[in-house]
Amino acid sequence: MTGRVCRGCGGTDIELDSARGDAVCTACGSVLEDNIIVSEVQFVENSGGGASAVGQFVSLDGAGKTPTLGGGFHVNLGKESRAQTLQNGRRQIHHLGNQLQLNQHCLDTAFNFFKMAVSKHLTRGRKMTHVIAACLYLVCRTEGTPHMLLDLSDLLQVNVYVLGKTFLLLARELCINAPAIDPCLYIPRFAHLLEFGEKNHEVSMTALRLLQRMKRDWMHTGRRPSGLCGAALLVAARMHDFRRTVKEVISVVKVCESTLRKRLTEFEDTPTSQLTVDEFMKIDLEEECDPPSYTAGQKKLRLQQLEQVLSKKLEEVEGEISTYQDEIEIELENSRPRAKGALASLNQDGSMEDAILFGEEDTEDEELEVAASHLNKDFYRELCGTPGGSEAPVGAEGDSRPPDLEALLGPLPTAASLGISDSIRECISSQSGDTKDASGDGELDLSGIDDLEIDRYILNEAETRVKAELWMRENAEYLQEQREKEARIAKEKELGIYKEHKPKKSGKRKEPILASTAGEAIERMLEQKKLSSKINYSVLRDLNSKGAGPLPEEAPTQGQPRPRRPPRKSRARRPDPPSSNVGKRLRPAMSTQPAKRAAVGETAPPESNPALGAELPRPGVAATVVVESGPVSYHAEEEAEDEEAEEEDGEPCVSALQMMGADDYGCDGDEDDGY
Amino acid sequence: MDADSDVALDILITNVVCVFRTRCHLNLRKIALEGANVIYKRDVGKVLMKLRKPRITATIWSSGKIICTGATSEEEAKFGARRLARCLQKLGFQVIFTDYKVVNVLAVCNMPFEIRLPEFTKNNRPHASYEPELHPAVCYRIKSLRATLQIFSTGSITVTGPNVKAVATAVEQIYPFVFESRKEIL
Repeated sequence: MTGRVCRGCGGTDIELDSARGDAVCTACGSVLEDNIIVSEVQFVENSGGGASAVGQFVSLDGAGKTPTLGGGFHVNLGKESRAQTLQNGRRQIHHLGNQLQLNQHCLDTAFNFFKMAVSKHLTRGRKMTHVIAACLYLVCRTEGTPHMLLDLSDLLQVNVYVLGKTFLLLARELCINAPAIDPCLYIPRFAHLLEFGEKNHEVSMTALRLLQRMKRDWMHTGRRPSGLCGAALLVAARMHDFRRTVKEVISVVKVCESTLRKRLTEFEDTPTSQLTVDEFMKIDLEEECDPPSYTAGQKKLRLQQLEQVLSKKLEEVEGEISTYQDEIEIELENSRPRAKGALASLNQDGSMEDAILFGEEDTEDEELEVAASHLNKDFYRELCGTPGGSEAPVGAEGDSRPPDLEALLGPLPTAASLGISDSIRECISSQSGDTKDASGDGELDLSGIDDLEIDRYILNEAETRVKAELWMRENAEYLQEQREKEARIAKEKELGIYKEHKPKKSGKRKEPILASTAGEAIERMLEQKKLSSKINYSVLRDLNSKGAGPLPEEAPTQGQPRPRRPPRKSRARRPDPPSSNVGKRLRPAMSTQPAKRAAVGETAPPESNPALGAELPRPGVAATVVVESGPVSYHAEEEAEDEEAEEEDGEPCVSALQMMGADDYGCDGDEDDGY
Repeated sequence: MDADSDVALDILITNVVCVFRTRCHLNLRKIALEGANVIYKRDVGKVLMKLRKPRITATIWSSGKIICTGATSEEEAKFGARRLARCLQKLGFQVIFTDYKVVNVLAVCNMPFEIRLPEFTKNNRPHASYEPELHPAVCYRIKSLRATLQIFSTGSITVTGPNVKAVATAVEQIYPFVFESRKEIL
């Protein structure tokens, strides 16, 4: 491996020690690689006195473990994950494959498919089990084993169509053309399950012949192969004097009873069914039949035609009847006493209107008119005067829809309450923005739109109320659930334990910060965490110089002072040396455990280390904690949490507020209350 | 005999789906209460409104996006969409009819012969996919037209595509292939 560059110093002089398996930079001494895979064989003496070879087994599939120190963790992680996925997949494939009794070759092929799928990222967003099942089924198809998708879905308890979808996608993406399924493949398997004993072979052969006959008779296109097999086997069994009931067959073949019967009836329709057993074995009829669905379609067509003819005749008859009806009505109207005043006319209107509205659904305007004129010629024309008069009353009512619907139905959510006032404003402004557009496309071309008819689509007040009630009653459960949920959230909010269930974000792995001094480390950390830019780093550095020596245990382990956090999050880390030295009361045994707090006992000026988040293990403080940026932030939100009474310092703990108020160290320790 | 390209096949358009935007926020509750033929699905947050005259069903979201389905031709779809917008206007919303687009067209076509599906699949490998265990038809995708055809053994074909022209072209394209694998009537 020549040409490698050292990560630390950039030097190119790298020494490879094959005995130890190391790669070391001679300039700065950093180890670049260890556990290099070498091709030498070394022997080592073991306790019994014998010799054994030195080395580790590296698996073929997984990546060799070559941890590189000091960086490059990301690369390593990626490999591990992929290797893990493949390993996991392999295990599952074997597990499932053994249940299906697939041989090793098939399992290996399936694993290859799986590897291809993973490299094309087809496993993302899909359940691993589905992908594995699809790989296995693909193998079954290419090898021609008698396994059905149904078997796989049985084993996994997954809907077969879901599996089918995954399988189709896999086949398409991997560009693998699975050969079409032949029902003949299934015969031996099912025959075996039906236990024909010695005559197994004969029955199978008969069933095969039957199947081929079915194929020629077009029964098999578009049908589940298992259904055809079932029918063929049933007939074959009967032909050889075996009693196999329909129930037994369907339990083996996994189709529904009605499907089987249907196949049998279809077969019955073919001329082959007329042959006797012996004839069938010898003769093969030449002609082919049309597929059953085709004949069914033809039947339907014929029926439809018949219906049409019939309905025409009916219409004629109806026409006669309606003319008689009209004449009768007209006579009646003329003989009825007229004009009871406006009320009577309104009544007539209303009832007739209803008749029209609730009558046939598809009446169009012209038809309405015709109907109207039929039923009530003169009367109507007098009242309304205009042809479309029936609509006028409705229209009038519709317009007078009062806006006090809101009073009736309670306050509707306003935009503000919905929190969408912004988006609305945006919408409105964009509206005005593209008026140019609007004039072009936005305007509704009202040609051909009958306003009056549209008015009918709008309910009036009474109807609205009724409808609202109906809807409420229908969806009562849903509304109930919503209310309960809201009540629960409100209660939790009160108690202060309301957690918004945000989707978990996997924690980012961070590189450890390499810095020569603690101060530098803090700076780096702050940059990383994107904390407040208002921290005065010069003051921080001063602190460092002032304080007494930092506690030894803490110094190396924590490079990170407590980050600022909003309340109710995880523990704080330890304060770093500068801060810790301020608090002389650092707890013992704090070393590597986060969330242990140092009690700040001393009131030395280094109380400026509130910036660095000395903890104020003061429960009282907890209540007054404010989430702020800047120096204050470090203060204990973790207050109330683990109140280890390690503050056995006799001195009173100083609260953050006090310290802030009292102190005045010139940095932006002024209250950036807020943000 | 070669396949005719002039064969008079009736392509029946059964469904046209279109979308458009009203550039204003719609109050679903108001529409639900005052519309005469609406279904309010509160859990999903949409209102279904059915029109009679062009028979269409519209799905209305509160953002102002509306999807219109059920029309039998492109003109009808546009007509229905306009009517719908007019209806909403009458209900009091400041509707602007923008971004009208036909999204999907579904058509049915009948071949005068039956088709051998396994043979057809074999000849048209990458585009056709046939899974008798799952669905009785062959699914044939034409990527260039973004159209999908479902071919049944009886000879009836269902085509879906982004517009009517694509659908017609798809049928024309598939005819020769299907003709190859037809079943000869004796």
